[in-house]
Amino acid sequence: MTIWGALTGGLVGTVVLTSALRVGQELGWTRMDLPLLLGTVFTSDRNRANVIGYAAHFVNGFLFALAYYGIFRAVGHAGWIFGAVLGLVHGVFASGALVTILLPAIHPHMGAPWTDSSETPLLEPPGFLMRNYGERTAVASLLAHVAYGAIVGGFAAQLT
Amino acid sequence: MTRIDGYAPIRDYAVIGDGRTCALVARDGSIDWLPLPDFDSATVLASIVDAEHGGCFELQPDEPFESTHRYAGDSNVLETTFRAAGGAVRVIDALVLAQDQELAPMRELVRSVAGISGSVRMRWRFEPRFGYARGQTTLQEQLGRVVAKQGSEAVVLGSWNAGAMSLVGNAVVGTFELAAGERAVLDVSATHGEPAVIPRREDAERRLALTQRFWGEWSARADYEGPWRDAVVRSALALKLLCYAPSGAIVAAPTASLPEWIGGTRNWDYRFSWLRDASWTLRALLRLGYFDEAQAYFWWFMHASRLTQPRLQVLYRVDGSTRSAESELDHLEGYRGSRPVRVGNGAADQVQLDVYGGMLEAVFQYAQARGRIDGGTGKQVAKIADYVSEHWSDRDSGIWEVRGGPTHFVQSKALCWVALDRACKLAERGIVPDHSDRWRRAADAVRTFVDENGWDAKRGTYVRATNQPELDASLLTLALLGYDDPQGDRVAGLIAAVQRELADGALVYRYRGEDGVGGDEGAFVTCSFWLVEALARAGRIDEAGALMDELVGCGNDVGLYAEEIDPSTGEFLGNFPQGLTHLALVSAAVAIEDARRGAQS
Repeated sequence: MTIWGALTGGLVGTVVLTSALRVGQELGWTRMDLPLLLGTVFTSDRNRANVIGYAAHFVNGFLFALAYYGIFRAVGHAGWIFGAVLGLVHGVFASGALVTILLPAIHPHMGAPWTDSSETPLLEPPGFLMRNYGERTAVASLLAHVAYGAIVGGFAAQLT
Repeated sequence: MTRIDGYAPIRDYAVIGDGRTCALVARDGSIDWLPLPDFDSATVLASIVDAEHGGCFELQPDEPFESTHRYAGDSNVLETTFRAAGGAVRVIDALVLAQDQELAPMRELVRSVAGISGSVRMRWRFEPRFGYARGQTTLQEQLGRVVAKQGSEAVVLGSWNAGAMSLVGNAVVGTFELAAGERAVLDVSATHGEPAVIPRREDAERRLALTQRFWGEWSARADYEGPWRDAVVRSALALKLLCYAPSGAIVAAPTASLPEWIGGTRNWDYRFSWLRDASWTLRALLRLGYFDEAQAYFWWFMHASRLTQPRLQVLYRVDGSTRSAESELDHLEGYRGSRPVRVGNGAADQVQLDVYGGMLEAVFQYAQARGRIDGGTGKQVAKIADYVSEHWSDRDSGIWEVRGGPTHFVQSKALCWVALDRACKLAERGIVPDHSDRWRRAADAVRTFVDENGWDAKRGTYVRATNQPELDASLLTLALLGYDDPQGDRVAGLIAAVQRELADGALVYRYRGEDGVGGDEGAFVTCSFWLVEALARAGRIDEAGALMDELVGCGNDVGLYAEEIDPSTGEFLGNFPQGLTHLALVSAAVAIEDARRGAQS
């Protein structure tokens, strides 16, 4: 089990997670666009937002891989199944709190249930389990995070 | 104001709102419509669709009175003045706005009562009925307030100087005497799925003052100078009320199932955002200088439609989701017996090709105002235009979303041409990927189809559909959106036909033929303003101005319009206030001013 394995898993897992969600967008399952949501925290220019958003998304991918690695070290075990379980918890947290509650609270361009006529945000809030972005968003997000976790766990266990 | 079987005339209502929901306040002081927490949520007050069981919040003198209402300046804060034998009082109603970082209720309705002269005994009755008056609403006293609950919903009623609160059946009631110079306050704070915030009197009054100040400052930014400034500013304020602030979406109207004919079945839920309104919305917001709202709406509709692109759904919920199942509420009797009361809207599943023209015209206007759009959005737009080039020849349900089966509506075809034309123009400017050869070929094919199948040379006008020779007032949009030369012979023929076949005085019916629903309806106010705009663009400026004067006089005493008006009685019909009517009013007023300036130069 190595930190470099976890970081490599974080890179590959983020690529897979991002690609899976992008495919979900193209198939009409979800309108969730994580790079756009993250990038528009910093700018309302869509082009810049996409660039910044992708960068922020990959940084997050590495940070979460480090967090996973910390857990692997703490319990003394890593593997793709354990990683997938962590990915499931991560996905539930992301769908239920991180994007649903925390992002609208800190995002300068995102509406929230308490936004009133005196404000004009540019992004609609995701709603409970991000259902505003499509009924299947939570499922798509959950599966993508399980895949991310499995990859991080697998790489952390295999790379020495 | 006289109620019939407990129902106030729709004309006697005013609307208040906060960018999340709206309430209708009758001139006799009763709030008869309030969904919570959002426009499209179930109602807590709905006596406008069931006077006995729907739930209401009455506040009026406890003796015979006369009343008038108006907005406080150019705001969405309502003032109702009651004059009784003993004196006069003024009630100020608002759904109040909160400042950032203050712990305010999720939604808050403030009713502030001020004695003006003499002394008047007032009575009030608050009867909340959650969930469209289904199920049990529980009322209980708690810390000097009354809390009404059902499931995850709750409202808290507070009163100061407004008499003792008494629970009587399903209602809270009170009476109080108010002399000149005295004030009383009633406050309803609402929550959904979280603990209620219980405001103090000073908080409620401070937020009421803040709300009045916000609306005054917002309306002062309206960039229009002309003879109809009051009507234009009131329309802008009404449209801002229909903006769902958390997302930027704009609902067509904040009500459901106000009938298009008394006792009829044309009762629909308009608490959704229709993409076809996009071009009129962008045009009005940009022209009046409200760029932030225009940008928010643009981002919203490009984002909301992502799930279905390149196909566009007719309407979307304000949160951007696509579910809108239609159902009938059989336990409600409907406005003056107009059944059924419908919530949700089945038109979402229809094919309506005019939507594409509305959306691409909106994109074009936004790109013109901003100078560019981002590359990702440009690609989306190109895909939508590709889709139009492949599907313009499909049958559809048309702009009026008729339920009599799809056919080839001429206005839909022409709006497909508008979509393709705008895509070509965007490509010319390098804003979207250039597929203009294909789009131009398709646009030419659309025009040939309309010329061969949609023009009645004998009558000198376009027809409603290839198999329906009657006229449709929506064809006026062909002159407004650049499909036809507005000063050409074809538009002159169309205007003459509309005036001859569809007009009743200043008001215009949308069509006279069948639409698969049955029953009567009133004249469609939007079409009346479209006729004004067509006249202005045709250079008949004086005629347009005279008609505009008449139509502005058809609004109610606070300057609002329903969807339709019965030309024989002046009675308002349909959902209220209707966003598209106010958009058409703004567009017509601006077109006349532009035409006047053009004629002078």
